[in-house]
Amino acid sequence: MLVLRRRVGETLLIGEDVEIEVLAIAAQGVKIGIRAPRETVVLRKELKITQEQNEVAAQGLTGADFKQALEKLRSNSKIDPSLR
Amino acid sequence: MLSVQTKYFGILPCREEEVFEFPRGLPAFEQEKRFVLIQLPENAPLIFLQSLAQPTLCFLAFPILVADRDYKLAVTAEDLAALDLDSGHQPELGGEVLVLALVSLRDAFSATANLMAPVVLNLKTRRGLQAIRPDRLYSHQHLIQPGILDVRSPEAAC
Repeated sequence: MLVLRRRVGETLLIGEDVEIEVLAIAAQGVKIGIRAPRETVVLRKELKITQEQNEVAAQGLTGADFKQALEKLRSNSKIDPSLR
Repeated sequence: MLSVQTKYFGILPCREEEVFEFPRGLPAFEQEKRFVLIQLPENAPLIFLQSLAQPTLCFLAFPILVADRDYKLAVTAEDLAALDLDSGHQPELGGEVLVLALVSLRDAFSATANLMAPVVLNLKTRRGLQAIRPDRLYSHQHLIQPGILDVRSPEAAC
């Protein structure tokens, strides 16, 4: 990872058309301004992670797999063979 | 009385006042604004978060204390305001809010819970949202131990 030290008001350029500016620094966090083309998607990474995890969670399991998974969560003992 | 077409349980009746409004939807499902909780005694403490508009969209969840008895909330002031809650302090778990961890089942043997972004429900105003933590104290893929929902185990007591 490239690591740079910047002060408030200083900027960074990423590629031809993305500009990052450090607007303010405080104990709670750093305030960042981003200038980028409208089509460039800017997301907080946690949001992206949550979106992806929600997609996985929504898919879930169906039928016998679902029953078996629930059974596994409910009990540490051997799974009822009839659920397989 | 509403009739809710559910993913796992056919059609279930539901009262309008039981519906939770999610003004922002859920990340990746922003258009889903209304959900109901399905809690069946035989599945306790599991809770199903069923979309009203989309019958095939149903999240599996449980109260977050089931996954971690010492879980500490960190809801941002912005999210607290969106939930009609006092932004001056964290809501009390099991009090004014119900906090759920969404569960991911990849196969029958590996389940994870998202402790990084719990679903917080204001039980009074029936508003909900997924509150992404501003810190990195909890995983979005917290491994769930088999037997965690066994009501006889101390982990499930909450």
